[in-house]
Amino acid sequence: MIELDPVIHAAARLRISATLASLDDGDRITFPRLQELLDMTAGNLSTHLRKLEDAEYVSVTKAHQGRTPVTFVTLTRRGRRAFEDYTDALRALLAGEK
Amino acid sequence: MTVNQTPADGDEPLPSPDAALALIRDQQRSVERNQLGGIPWVLVMWGIAWGVGFLALWSGYDGGNPWFQLPRAVAGAIFGAIFLAASIVSVIVISRLGRGVRVASGFGGTVFGISSSASFVAVYLIGVALARAGADGALISLYLPAGFGMTTGLLFLMGAALWRSVSQVVLGAIIMVTAVVAPFFGAPTNNVVMAVLGGGSFLIAAVAMQLGLKRGR
Repeated sequence: MIELDPVIHAAARLRISATLASLDDGDRITFPRLQELLDMTAGNLSTHLRKLEDAEYVSVTKAHQGRTPVTFVTLTRRGRRAFEDYTDALRALLAGEK
Repeated sequence: MTVNQTPADGDEPLPSPDAALALIRDQQRSVERNQLGGIPWVLVMWGIAWGVGFLALWSGYDGGNPWFQLPRAVAGAIFGAIFLAASIVSVIVISRLGRGVRVASGFGGTVFGISSSASFVAVYLIGVALARAGADGALISLYLPAGFGMTTGLLFLMGAALWRSVSQVVLGAIIMVTAVVAPFFGAPTNNVVMAVLGGGSFLIAAVAMQLGLKRGR
């Protein structure tokens, strides 16, 4: 029986994971830019990022550019693997349906 | 006291594997469109620059454009201005492509950026050396477009290798062939070859990329 990862298997978190997975391994994106690419509110994005962070799928770090604080988000190695396993599971489910 | 917690938007599980795969595909296409949407405009800009710029040069030489002639200085000024404008637009658009993203290893991009500028300067300096060694204006007018064209083609091929882009391989190869073929037509006809074949391929590449981004490749 194929099980889908419940952390990723929700529309908002799947979109976040898909966006972060489209960046190269280890690349970090700022919170506002991620928000722009997802067209989500800051509050909603924060909520879902926290769930992904709790599962250690994303890493959220704070840094400074000059005097401005910047929040960076990146997919962890574990998160990238989980996303790939999730897409493999989807394809396996679809293959099983045929 | 209890607080009613409502689930966040988008917390609901997806209805089917099909829907989940479609969501991934749509989101990644949307990211690609957002990040690369400016590139076709850069290609259009270079297509116009090559087309208008080299036709202007062609019109500045005796035995060039049979319909009208431009003073050599005016032709050179048009060429310089339009290439400068295309360079500025490219730098602005390309620098905005990766906004908000900090790459883990910027080595490839940095080497690409520095070697691009350095190689164009090198082509120009070799031209200066040739002129000092006695090459006349006709010879230099064959060498410089070929040298810059060859470098541009090579840069597209380097970019294709770095960013795994097949369309850049095609464009780079056409630009290189154009640069190599053009001098065989002699001066000033080499400028027409650069304008039509080189400029035309930039414009075709722009349309192809725009359609590809729309369709999601």
